[in-house]
Amino acid sequence: MRAVFLSILLSCFLLWPNVALSQERSATRQGFDLQAQSGQTILVFRPAVQVGSQSMGGMFEPDADWTLKARDHIAAALKEQQSKLGNTILEAPEAYGEDAELLYEYQMLFGAVAEAVREYQFFVGNRLPTKKRDNKDDIFDWSLGPGVADLPGAADADYALFIYNRDEYGSTGRKILQVGLALFGGIGVQSGVHVGYAGLVDLKTGNLLWINVDGQMGGDVREADGAQKRVRQLLEEFPGSELEK
Amino acid sequence: MSAKLLKAFAGIILCAVGITSAQGHNDVAPLPPPYAGHYQPEGRDEVGLWQLDDENERRLANAPILIRDEALTDYVHEILCRTVGDDRCGSIRTYIIREPTFNATMSPNGTMRVFSGLLLRMRSEAELAAILGHEFGHFEKRHSLNGFRSRRRGTDILAWSALLVSAAPSQQGFRNHQNLELSVYGELFSYKRNQEREADLLGLGYLNASEYRPQSASEVWTNLMGEIEASARVRGKRKPNFKRVAFTASHPPQGERAAYLKALADPQGYNRDDGALRYREMLAPFLSLFLEDQVRHNDFGATQYILNSLGDLGWNADLYFAQGEMYRSRGNQRDFANAIESFEAALELDSTMAAAYRGLGLCLIRAGDRSRGREALKSYLELAPEAEDSAMILMMIG
Repeated sequence: MRAVFLSILLSCFLLWPNVALSQERSATRQGFDLQAQSGQTILVFRPAVQVGSQSMGGMFEPDADWTLKARDHIAAALKEQQSKLGNTILEAPEAYGEDAELLYEYQMLFGAVAEAVREYQFFVGNRLPTKKRDNKDDIFDWSLGPGVADLPGAADADYALFIYNRDEYGSTGRKILQVGLALFGGIGVQSGVHVGYAGLVDLKTGNLLWINVDGQMGGDVREADGAQKRVRQLLEEFPGSELEK
Repeated sequence: MSAKLLKAFAGIILCAVGITSAQGHNDVAPLPPPYAGHYQPEGRDEVGLWQLDDENERRLANAPILIRDEALTDYVHEILCRTVGDDRCGSIRTYIIREPTFNATMSPNGTMRVFSGLLLRMRSEAELAAILGHEFGHFEKRHSLNGFRSRRRGTDILAWSALLVSAAPSQQGFRNHQNLELSVYGELFSYKRNQEREADLLGLGYLNASEYRPQSASEVWTNLMGEIEASARVRGKRKPNFKRVAFTASHPPQGERAAYLKALADPQGYNRDDGALRYREMLAPFLSLFLEDQVRHNDFGATQYILNSLGDLGWNADLYFAQGEMYRSRGNQRDFANAIESFEAALELDSTMAAAYRGLGLCLIRAGDRSRGREALKSYLELAPEAEDSAMILMMIG
């Protein structure tokens, strides 16, 4: 009995389910409207970018070269597309000492809030009753608190943009497994993980103004063109934008 | 384990790691291999792991969980350098993490995390050196990379097996797949345990070659076993078995580690200095913080064991205070008498210890002696008028 239980448990490692993330959703805070060509300055902190491949058994294999390329491509694409909207991207200055510690805490806080939005307001499964009600009333109310005004570089900008991106490209083995299992057993295994979220925060109030969570993004971030497409998808429904898909 | 078996076991390990034991008759862990220059990652897997780890370290450096005390960090790093040598320790950055558990970790790029709970439990520089040397052994032998590869290999094999079974489904095939799963995962855990054994031996090799007393390595585990036993006793649990290897155990059992580390320690190093006095002196300013965290850990038996171990040369006010807090936090009526006694002992040694008056006052009130309790709380507020809880305490004084 114990062996059976263990084998079920261990199989979970192999066939990692990723259901909740394979959806996309965005939301904008009520009453917030960012006019295109209004010349806002947006502060961008070092985007959290991680790129690698997915082994046949489902493990993440980090790839340093891909990650570095993707980080550069994404940053360049971001600049270009925001300038089309008439906004200026300000790369956050390198932070030292207490500034860096503060930034760390806010990056962790943003990650936790984005995760909570995804888990408790956006996707079916574990939504909170209060957040379901908010969804019906079209209310989106989350905040990091006014302390964000003390972040390094905040004084020179109107908004802050946080970006998280993770890619695991399916290896050949993983693709064989995906096709094979679908063919023989009718079992669906995911090959590749492409998750990202982007959030815009008001640097005066700390309110989360807009967020986009996407569990199945397109665009190969290892290439400049692909990164353009990826950033377009990340910024889909960005307030004041009608970017072509 | 008999000495003969042990020798055979050590031989197997040495062969496995490719160290030729030139003097087969010697009963000590071998000297570390010659230093091969700065460690740099090679190949896609390793470069990738290092880069991932660089990001982690970048975050760690700004994390609030760090104890940012330059003197303490330098001291711990210096012990590492004295153990593994200056050339080797140049590849390592040492961080002290505020976490009250017995642990230290080494990650692929040379980030050493030393937990405050480890510093609290070590009794000498040599004991700490044994752990730091072990962690450095993981780094030198690229254990993260090899572990990563073995996990990938194992899960790949299982993926192939799942594919084959689904192509030709049968009861027998499914059962074979389940058996394979058990053996692959069993193999992965045992691989991890063998890495720990290898790191133990390498760590002891450094210690044998260093200025420290190598017998301390074994004493770390003997002492830990004592603590685990004390903890189990208070919880009313059966005496733990320190020889048993669980299927999913990540480390060899403490009894085994203590035995081979004792057998392989260089006897000629027995009389070397272990730096116990220096260590106590250096850690003294941090003792109250580390003990506070340990008390909150809510492991009564372990805390008592640690206090007794720290108090073997005489109890000071910090120890009495921590003991008082330990009883107060458990908070049964029968505990208050012990707590009051401990706080009074602390105040006898240090009459300016505001927190001890606080604990004493609160315990006296809970024990029914309200008037004396209020007196103690008054003394607390006199000594610490700006205390965070002053408003609440004022209300209790009435």
